[in-house]
Amino acid sequence: MPLDPLPFPPQTGWKKRCCLLPMAFRDMNARRHIGLQQLSSLALAGRTLLGPMKSCKFIVDESTNQSTLIGSAVRLIESLDLTSAAGQLLNETIQAQNKEFKTGMSTLLFLIGAWSNAVLECLQQNVPVSAIVSVMSEGLNSCCERVQCLQISIHDVNKELCSSSVRPNAFKSKTCQIGHDSLLNPQIFLYFQKDISAPEEVIPISSCSYQEDGCNSNKCLVSPLAGLGSIASLVKPAGDKSTSVISGSGVTTSSCNKLTHSRYFSTLGKSHFSSQQGNFQGYFSGQSADPCECYGFGHLAMALSHGNQASVKLLQSVVAYQQERAECSGSSQFNIAEIVTCCLLGLPENYSCVSPGFVTLVSSEQATVIKHFEDKPLRILLMDGDLTEQYRHLGFNRPCNVRTILEHPSLWEGRAGDLWLSSMLDILINFEVNLVLVKGNVCKNLMERCIANSILVIGFVTRDVLRAFGEVTSTQPVTYLTQLNASCVGSGAQVELWKACDGRAMDLGELVPVRIKVQGIPLLTAVLTTAVASKMQLIEDQFWTLVYRLHHALNDKNVFLGGGAVELLCLSHIQMLAEQPLQPANKNAVKEFHNPWLAASATEYKSVVLQALASGWKQYLSVVMCNTAKAASELEACTTVDHHLKKAADCGSPSAYILKEFRRGDLLRGGSGPFADHGEGLKVYDNVTAKMEAWRRALDLVLLVLQTDAEIISGPKRNQLLNSHMSSEFMFL
Amino acid sequence: MSRLEAKKPPLFISEPLTRDTVSQSLSLLSGILKSCYGPAGRLKHLHNGMGGYVCTTSQSSAILSHLSVSHPVLRVLMASVQNHISRFSDCGLFTAILCCSLIENFKSLNVASCTVIKISKHLLSLCMDYLKSEACGCRVSVDFSSVETLLCLVRSILTSKPACMLNKPEVDHLTMLILKAFMFTVPYCVETNAVLGKCVIVPVKGRRVVDSRVLPGLLIETPEIQLAEPLTVKRTCSNMIKIALFSVSMSGDLFNPEEGTIAVHHGISLEMSELNQLLNVGKQLINDEVGLVVCQKVMHPSLKQYLKENHVITVDRAGLSLVEPMSRMTGSKPIASIHSLSPGCYGSLKDVCIESFASKHFVHLIPNDTVVCSMILCNRNETAWDELKRICETAEHVLQLTIKEPLALLGGGCTETHLASYIRHKSYSLSTSSFKEIDCSQTQYQLVADGFCRSLESVACSLNHDDGEVLTDMFYGHCWFVPSGFSSVSNWSDVVSKCGCGINGNTENLKWRLLQGQFGCPIAQGCPKEPSVKVADFLTLDCFAAKCNGLQVALETANLILDLSYVIEDQN
Repeated sequence: MPLDPLPFPPQTGWKKRCCLLPMAFRDMNARRHIGLQQLSSLALAGRTLLGPMKSCKFIVDESTNQSTLIGSAVRLIESLDLTSAAGQLLNETIQAQNKEFKTGMSTLLFLIGAWSNAVLECLQQNVPVSAIVSVMSEGLNSCCERVQCLQISIHDVNKELCSSSVRPNAFKSKTCQIGHDSLLNPQIFLYFQKDISAPEEVIPISSCSYQEDGCNSNKCLVSPLAGLGSIASLVKPAGDKSTSVISGSGVTTSSCNKLTHSRYFSTLGKSHFSSQQGNFQGYFSGQSADPCECYGFGHLAMALSHGNQASVKLLQSVVAYQQERAECSGSSQFNIAEIVTCCLLGLPENYSCVSPGFVTLVSSEQATVIKHFEDKPLRILLMDGDLTEQYRHLGFNRPCNVRTILEHPSLWEGRAGDLWLSSMLDILINFEVNLVLVKGNVCKNLMERCIANSILVIGFVTRDVLRAFGEVTSTQPVTYLTQLNASCVGSGAQVELWKACDGRAMDLGELVPVRIKVQGIPLLTAVLTTAVASKMQLIEDQFWTLVYRLHHALNDKNVFLGGGAVELLCLSHIQMLAEQPLQPANKNAVKEFHNPWLAASATEYKSVVLQALASGWKQYLSVVMCNTAKAASELEACTTVDHHLKKAADCGSPSAYILKEFRRGDLLRGGSGPFADHGEGLKVYDNVTAKMEAWRRALDLVLLVLQTDAEIISGPKRNQLLNSHMSSEFMFL
Repeated sequence: MSRLEAKKPPLFISEPLTRDTVSQSLSLLSGILKSCYGPAGRLKHLHNGMGGYVCTTSQSSAILSHLSVSHPVLRVLMASVQNHISRFSDCGLFTAILCCSLIENFKSLNVASCTVIKISKHLLSLCMDYLKSEACGCRVSVDFSSVETLLCLVRSILTSKPACMLNKPEVDHLTMLILKAFMFTVPYCVETNAVLGKCVIVPVKGRRVVDSRVLPGLLIETPEIQLAEPLTVKRTCSNMIKIALFSVSMSGDLFNPEEGTIAVHHGISLEMSELNQLLNVGKQLINDEVGLVVCQKVMHPSLKQYLKENHVITVDRAGLSLVEPMSRMTGSKPIASIHSLSPGCYGSLKDVCIESFASKHFVHLIPNDTVVCSMILCNRNETAWDELKRICETAEHVLQLTIKEPLALLGGGCTETHLASYIRHKSYSLSTSSFKEIDCSQTQYQLVADGFCRSLESVACSLNHDDGEVLTDMFYGHCWFVPSGFSSVSNWSDVVSKCGCGINGNTENLKWRLLQGQFGCPIAQGCPKEPSVKVADFLTLDCFAAKCNGLQVALETANLILDLSYVIEDQN
C-alpha cells in the first residue's frame, strides 16, 4: 500500500501540466523544463547585441510601419512579447539592471540564455535540482571572489592610461590621416558595405561602420554617418570648418592632442564662454604642462567606452567641463544629475556637442520672444506642476457636488476661462517674469498670451533641470501662480538661440533649439544630433550607457580589466574547482549552517554542474569574439579560449598570466580581423559592480525558474483556459 | 418589468469526503503544498496569465491567498490554515500538509469517524503534554542572553524559502539585521505591561541584499529633496523638536459629504476658504513652535510654502502604515481635523536628518528612545524582494512569539519524526482503562495512532524533493536524508552525515529505518531519547508556539472535515 495517495508524487516530476478551478495550476517540471526553454529562446534574440561590436536590429512596428534601431537588450526586451511568466520575470530582471546600472543588460540577457541551456543539459543528465542550485550559486560566489584580483583602482588606471598616452597619440595622429581620407578610401568603404550585407535575422544595420570609424578616432573630420554615404556631402562643410580648429590647436598644444581635437571644447570656449575665455585659456595651458591632470577621467571614459566613440567625445567634454567646475567650487567631480540630453533630429551627427546650460526645443512662435530678450538678464520662475486652469496638485480631490449659483448670468457668461487667463497673466507681469519653466503641460491659450507679452513659457521640463535652476537662483518651484511672491522669482537667466559648432542657429522645421542658462549653473546639455530618425533612440541610449559606466566606475573606485580578462579567470578558476578532490563536505558541515538536502547530493554532481556554469562564460567569450570578428567561428573562438586556459594553467598563476596578456593587449585576440593591426595599446576596462551584478541576476533568474515546478493562474484567464483546447493541459481546483 | 424566478432548491451533497472530486482536489492541493515545503521546496509562479506581475513563491500565505477554491471542504481547510498564519505567520505549510495528510490517512481507516475523532484528540493531548513537558526531547530552550539560538532560529526561517535567492553571506547579513531590528523593538525599561515596538520595512528594490540596513527611528520617503541640507530645525527650549502629526488630508479639497449638493454663490470660492483655514492651522503651528509637520496624506503646496518660509519642515504623504509607529515613537496624537488643534497632541523628537539611499531620499526621524526602527530591505528584483519581505516579517513575528515563550522546536523534520516515534511508543504502553475512557478498542486506537504518526512522518518526508530516501533512527527518532543515487546502499551509516536539524551526527550506530512505504514498523523501541548535546551552533529550529498551534489546528480541522456528513449549497 503506498503511503502517499498522490497520483503524481512530486519526486517523480509531474508529467501533466495542471490547472485548478478558479485558478489554473500548471506544472512545468518535466525533464524539459518549459520555463528554462522560454528563457533560452528569448535570450537568443540578444546574441548579436553582445560585446563592443554590436549588430543593431531594426524593430518594425507592423501596425504603423515605423521602425527604430535598437542596440541594447532593454530596447529589445521592450519590443518582445513577454506574456509568459518566465518572460515577465526576464523583463523584470533586465529592467532592474537597467534601472540600477544602465549597463550590463546585454551580458545579463546573454548569460540568462546560456545558463538556461546549460541547466537544461544538467537536467537531461538527471542532476537533481538542489545540486544544480547549490553548486552553481556557490560556484558563482567563488568566482566573484576570485576575480577581485583583476580590479584596478581608478587612480592607478588613470595613471597608467595617461602615462601611456604618448603612444596612443601617435596612433591617433596616424588614424586621423586615415580618417581624413576615409570618405574617399574605397577600402574602408568596403567594410561598410560588408557590414550592411551581414546576415542577421532582423534587417541588419551598419552599426559596425559606426563603430569602425569611431575606432579611426577621427574626432571631427569623419562623420559617424559617413558609412551611409548620402549624408556625406552635407557633412563636409562642417568638417572643413573644424579642420582649421584642429590644426590650430594641434600646433599650440601638441601634447594635448586629444583634448583639443574635440571641437566641442573649442566651441565651448569660443561661442558660449566669451566672458570666461581667459579662464579657459589658462586651463588649456595648464593642461599642456601636465597632460594627465588636465584630462581627468577622459582616458577612463575612453577605456570604458568599448568602442562607442561618438559618445566618448561628448562625455570627455562633459568631464572636462565638470572637472573645471569642481576645481573652482569643490563640488563632486562627475555628477550625472547635472547632465541632460537634447535630441535634435535632422542635423548631421557631427553637430553633436555639449553645451553648458539647458538646451531644449521650442516652437518658432516662442522663438520670436527670444529676439525681444536680446541679452538682458531675465527673471525666471519655476513651476512643478501643470500650468493650466484645471490643474490641481496631486492628492486634491475635486468636489463633485458643488453647484454655483449665478445671480446675474448675462454679465459673467463664458468669461470664467478668460478671467483665469488674465489674472495669471497679471501675476506674471506684476512680478516681471520673463521666463517660466514648467514641469508639466502648459495651457495653450496662456502660452499665446504670454508670447504676446514677451514671456517665454517652456513646458515638460524635467525635475533635474528645475532643480539645477532652482539651486543656482536659490528659488523654489511653485505649484500655482497664486503662490507667487518675490522670493520665488529668480533673476539673471539668459536665453538665446542654440548655435551649432559652425556658429549658425538652427531651424528644424517647426521647432527651434534654444539655450537657457544662468551664470554659474552646473547644468550641461549633451546635444545629440542625427539625420536618421530611427537612430535617435540608439544614440541617446549609447550616450547614457557610457555616462553611467563612468559614473559607476567612479562610485566603485575600481574597474575590472576588460576584454574578457575577468571571464577568462572565471573559467580557469572553475577548471580548478572542478579538478579539486571532493570537498570534505562532512568537515565543512560542522562549521557551516547545516543543510542536508543541499550539501549532501551536491558533491556528487559537482563537476557536471560547474562545467555548466563555465559554459555560460565560454559561450560569452566566443560570441563576443565572433561579433567583433576576432574569430571566424565559435569553434575557432573556443579554441582560442582553451588555448589561453591551458597556458594560464601551465603558467601556475592564472591571474598573473591574464594580467600579463592584458598588459600586452594580447588577450583573446584572434589572428585575423580588421582590428588585429591597430587595436593594440587601447586598454579596455569594465565596471565591477555592474558586471558582477549582471552575472548574479542572470543566475538568480535561471535558478528561480529552475526551482519552479508549477504556474498557478488565477483571474479571468482561468475561464479562457477552462474552455480552450488547452484545458487538458491544466488542472482545476 | 421585473421577472420572478422560482427559487431553486438547495443542493445536498451527502458524505462529501467519499466523492472523487473532493479527494482529487484534496490530493492536488496537498501535492502543491508538499512540493513547496522546506529549503529545497519547489516554487510556484502566481500570475493572471495575461502578462504583468508574477509572484514567485513557496510561502503558504501567498499561495493560499491566491487560490480561490470552489469546494467547501477545501475552503474550510484553507480558512483555518490562513487563520493560523494570520496569528503566527509561521508553520503555515506544516499545518496545511499535516491536515491534508491526516484527512487522507484517517479516511482510509476502517474506523467510524466519531471514534477516530475521539482517539485523535487523545493523541493530540499526548503530543501537547509531551511538548510542554520538561522531558520533551525535541525542543530546546532559547536563551535571550546569548544570540546563538536566536540566530539559528532566524536563519532557519530565512533559508526555508528559496525564492528569496539568498546566498550564505547574504543570509548571515540579514539574520544579524533581523535580530538587530528586533532588539531595537524591545523597550529598555520593562514594566509589568511591556509592549514590543515595531520594525517598519522600507522597500529598496533593485539593490544587493547586503546593502540592507537597520536604522533606529522612522524613515519617510520624500520624492525629491525639497529640503536643503543640512537641515535647520526649530527646536524648543529643551532642545527637542516639536512634531505635529496629521492623519487628515491637508490638500485643501473639500470635505466630501456622501450625498446632496452644496449651492454656492458665484464669486465665493470654497477652495480659497479651505486654504485659508489651512493657513490658519499653519499659523497656529508656527505659534506653538512646531518644528516638523508630518501629514499622512497630501499637504497643499501653499501651506507647505507658508510653513517653509517660517522655518517649519513639512513632510507629506507619509502613508497610513507609518502613522501608528510614529505616534508611538513621538508621543504625538494623530490630528484628524484641521479645525481644532489642542496643544496636547504634539509629540517630540530628538533629531531629524536626511538620508539618501540608492536613488531614494528619506527624512529620518530620530526618537529619544528607540522602540521603533526601520529596516531598509533590498533585493535584486521585485519577486524576490516580495518573498524576502514576507519572510522578514515572519521572522520578526517568530522572535516576538519566542520572547513570550522562550522555546524552540528542532526543525528539519526531526520534531515530526521524534513526535511520531514518541506516540508509537506511547500508544503501546497505554493502560486498558484509557481505552475504556475513550470508548474504543486497543486495535482501533493503534490503527488511528499509526495513521497519525504516518501523517506526521509524511510532513517530514515532504522536505525531500529529489529522488532520495528519508530515514529515521531508532534511538533519537530524528529525521535523516539520503541523497539520490544511494538507494541500494546496504549500510545507511555510510551515506548520512547529520540529522535534519543538525543536532546529531552520524557517530554511533543508530539503526535506521526508511520512513516511506514501509508496512509495519518495528515497535520494539523505548521512548525516543533526548540528544546528548543540547547546544549546537548551526541548528535548524522552528518556532515553538507556531508549530504547537499548527499541530492543533491541523488536527482539529481534519476532525471537523472528517465529521462532515452533508454539504448544503444554496443555488440561488
